[in-house]
Amino acid sequence: MAIYYFTNAGEPCTPFEETGEDLMKKGLAIKATVPDGIESWRLSYDTAAKAVVVYAEGKDEEGAIAQKATDAAAQLVTDKEKTDADTAARLES
Amino acid sequence: MSNLSKLFGGSSTTDPRKEGLPLFGLWGGSGDQNTQMNYRVFDSNFRVVSSPWAAVTSTTSNYRFGMLSDGSHAYAMNDHGTDFHSDLTTQGYSSWTNYQKSIYQVDQYPHCFHYTVSREGFPTWQSYHQFTSSFEYQVGWTKLNMVLPEGVRPRRTFTNRRHTMREFMGNSDCNCDYYNYSSHLVDPAVYNYATGTGYNEKNKMLVMIHSGDEGGNTSKSIHIFKSSVDLNATTRIKDFFDNLEWTEYFTDTWTNQNNKDWCVVVGNNCWVGFGLKQSNSKRYGVFDCNQKGVGVDTTGASRQWSTWQDFAGSTTTSYGATQGHQYYTKFQTTWDGTWGMIYSPYYYYGCGINAFAMSLENPRKFININQTKSSRVNPYIAWGRTGFHGGKSDNCDSEVWQTYAFAFDPKDSDHTVDTRVYKGSTSGEGAMPDNNSLVGGDFTNKTGVCSLDAMRTGLHGGTQTTNYPMLMGVNWWGSYGNADASYGGK
Repeated sequence: MAIYYFTNAGEPCTPFEETGEDLMKKGLAIKATVPDGIESWRLSYDTAAKAVVVYAEGKDEEGAIAQKATDAAAQLVTDKEKTDADTAARLES
Repeated sequence: MSNLSKLFGGSSTTDPRKEGLPLFGLWGGSGDQNTQMNYRVFDSNFRVVSSPWAAVTSTTSNYRFGMLSDGSHAYAMNDHGTDFHSDLTTQGYSSWTNYQKSIYQVDQYPHCFHYTVSREGFPTWQSYHQFTSSFEYQVGWTKLNMVLPEGVRPRRTFTNRRHTMREFMGNSDCNCDYYNYSSHLVDPAVYNYATGTGYNEKNKMLVMIHSGDEGGNTSKSIHIFKSSVDLNATTRIKDFFDNLEWTEYFTDTWTNQNNKDWCVVVGNNCWVGFGLKQSNSKRYGVFDCNQKGVGVDTTGASRQWSTWQDFAGSTTTSYGATQGHQYYTKFQTTWDGTWGMIYSPYYYYGCGINAFAMSLENPRKFININQTKSSRVNPYIAWGRTGFHGGKSDNCDSEVWQTYAFAFDPKDSDHTVDTRVYKGSTSGEGAMPDNNSLVGGDFTNKTGVCSLDAMRTGLHGGTQTTNYPMLMGVNWWGSYGNADASYGGK
């Protein structure tokens, strides 16, 4: 486990203690413990639950990237469906 | 050129190169980047300034159509892009059409990497077919990093490679000037590869790094050339070197993954910042390049301020010149020329930002800029008087378009005090709170990290449906003065 500092919006900010503690004093960071070996893009801090969230938890970087591609493709389909539905609704109105 | 020289010599007449406050383009398309498209140019106050146009098609082919359809300006029928929502995790020739929203697109030069956009509102894409041999793709890293007066962007393209400076017309592939400056090098240890050059117009000072190769060689010789004539006002590069007042050098050994990543920022106080992307992180160091005398202070240690600073923000897998020369570390300045930033992506090939932002008056004053978005991003460009914005702009279906905007204090150049950064918010109450608190933060010099926050702009798309707006740099922001809608009366 390692220490990581997040922004008040829950985004990764810094792994460095000097910088992180300085930001904490200024009210600009949240300190949390994160699992080892996880790239920061997969980390976020749920400010409501006060807990670290790991994207694609249990997967390695390659697996997480694959999951990201899958999620992005699904989102794209959802976006397209939304476009088509919005267009159809406008034509009917 | 004689007129320019006269102007730069102290006349109160406005420099003819001076532009109005920064503009940006916003490319809007329907969710499939097809059937409808629209492009508008906005000023720093988010008011539209371009002439209207739009195009529609009834096909679902993602082909160029309407005003963009002519075959002379395209390699493929869909080379204007088919994927404005890429995560930029992979690279490859076949994925070039994803890269229009990459952070690599825009630097301080007025022409963008993959496209050029007029103030009037017409974008055109450099043919993707030519990228493998074009100037910006292959050798854009040889361009000089310029510190210029208020409102001025580089209007001439000077490059430096080996022991030769050249001038090009924009980012075309044709030389229009050439000068071999070997005879002016004073370091007896000759390194053959120029790998980073900065110029300060106020001081008429050129600072260049020479390395043992264009890869990872760590041997460095740094030359400082002080002339009595301004490089940007010369008829020929030779004139700058013919009028040198003094030349000094120092040598050092610098860690670098790839020498093509070096950025050189020559401050108005003659302290010089050197920075680059280094693996997933970055490095930045500052050296005293004031005149010391012949043979004096010829080591890096004798001139360095403090120590090298590794990027103090969040990093993840990200790529630079080692993965491809077009991914060299970028440099950009605020409109007023008081702040600059050396930057590269946070994530893979172009998402988020890892940057060192430094005072151009005193490059010893610097902080780390951090934004960790990993999908559906956009470039950053100069914004307002002393700021930058960009980077966000996800699908803004039913949402006001947002941007990561931040601004500095133009008078703030003291490296012994914290750096103030002004930021925005996604609500009016956040931007104008019912209290006396600062919207932004004060960050410790050298190690402080400013993480960017999104700001609502008030701009919204024409339809409430899927859309992936793309922020684009504009090659001419218009003449400075009261014809500019965002002119503040200064």
